[in-house]
Amino acid sequence: MAVVHDDIGRRRFLSQAVMGFGMLFGIGTLSFRFLQFLLPTEARRESETVLIGAESRIPLGEAVPMDLGGRKILVLRTEEGVAAFSRRCTDLGCLVSWNKERSQFICPCHQGTFDRTGLNIAGPPPRPLDRLQIVKRGEQLYVNIQAT
Amino acid sequence: MASTVSENVKKEQDEKSWVDYIQKDLPQHLDWWPYTLGALPLTLFGLLVGTGLLLTFYYVPSPERAYESVDQITNEIYLGWFVRGLHKTSVDLMILFLFFHVIRVFITRAYRTPGELKWVSGSIVLFVTLAMGFTGYSLIFDNVSYWGMTVVTNMIGTLPVIGTPLLHLLRGGEEVSGVTLLRLYDLHTKLLPVLLGGLVLGHVVIVRLLGFAEVKGSRGFHSFYPEHTLKMGAIAAGLLLLIVNIVMIFPPLLGPPANVQEVASDVSPPWYFSAPFMWITLLPGPLALWSLLGFAGFFVVYPFLDRVLDERGWPMEIVNALVAAAVVCAMAGLMYLDTLM
Repeated sequence: MAVVHDDIGRRRFLSQAVMGFGMLFGIGTLSFRFLQFLLPTEARRESETVLIGAESRIPLGEAVPMDLGGRKILVLRTEEGVAAFSRRCTDLGCLVSWNKERSQFICPCHQGTFDRTGLNIAGPPPRPLDRLQIVKRGEQLYVNIQAT
Repeated sequence: MASTVSENVKKEQDEKSWVDYIQKDLPQHLDWWPYTLGALPLTLFGLLVGTGLLLTFYYVPSPERAYESVDQITNEIYLGWFVRGLHKTSVDLMILFLFFHVIRVFITRAYRTPGELKWVSGSIVLFVTLAMGFTGYSLIFDNVSYWGMTVVTNMIGTLPVIGTPLLHLLRGGEEVSGVTLLRLYDLHTKLLPVLLGGLVLGHVVIVRLLGFAEVKGSRGFHSFYPEHTLKMGAIAAGLLLLIVNIVMIFPPLLGPPANVQEVASDVSPPWYFSAPFMWITLLPGPLALWSLLGFAGFFVVYPFLDRVLDERGWPMEIVNALVAAAVVCAMAGLMYLDTLM
């Protein structure tokens, strides 16, 4: 007679284990959905070409800051031509500014320094500034904003 | 009749007063001031909750209104400057006293077995308090706030695997925006205070359960209530007086509003983040981040490291004194460098 009770013990354990796992799975799924609620949906950005003006309007040796739909860039004109850089410092995301006297991009947050080709030359930044492609159509300059 | 009276007496003896639950005699050395440094941050935490609640009645967590509302609190609302000053000064002092408390515990090696959990729980309290400091000064939405938010969330974003999801979770998008401010506001006024309250309670309970560290020459005991409680009350009153004086002499200031198109020339954070701020300025990005994380991890597990080294016969009293002196000097040096920039 006593042997039968062992079987009940196992059955109880199995049913409790199934219920336990079911509950954990349910709570897990729910938590995952809540996490998704907090995480923003990523908007896909299309690659586009934006008109930024005539080359002659940018003084030689100057970099003009622009905000293209939240994307902050600097358009630099030197003897070699015109180049566009993202202002986002590659260290921790502050905005770099152009220093005409030193011919360098400087980030005031942690003193990151980039030369006029965008190369990181001093301070904490681990890589060069992001560069944006410039397209010239006649006198007008267009900058190509890459999809991110 | 006689039996009911004796039953009543017995019942009265069984019924404990609420004081009995926390009543436990305290060792004599707790009268000496370095051993009261833990109670000071606790008092300040209470003051911070009170003044913080008052500030929420006027603060508006939106990028357009945040700075304006802080300005209103500081310059227009009756006693607004005083409430904000109390809040700000209490934070500074709370973190300062926490640092002193850590130094005292570290030098006296009060975390020794069985007290490891006291140290570990306390170090989490310290980190959450620093997180409160960060989320708090972000709410002002001046230049230091805005670029601080950008830099700190970016640092979190560079962590492997969890970095990017955590970055999006904190920012509520790819970039720092109004959603970010609202999230930091929620963290500062809801999630973190509740968490900190729980952690502080846990820390105090753990300290009471595991017992105070033994100190040489401290043999006597005194009661928790009323002796110790009264003394703490007197210290809290003195502290309040000090804070009121500081606020009167140094009323809270407000820098220029955040300019998201240009980084201001000086975006140095409050003094308690000054040393790590200089550290990430001096070292290349990833190295700075990993060394800071390594330092924090090392800090948490230090009691276990102490145990291992102690077993090998290291003179840990001297080692700790040297380590503490080196860390304090390094922090002071970095803070000095920050003032030069």
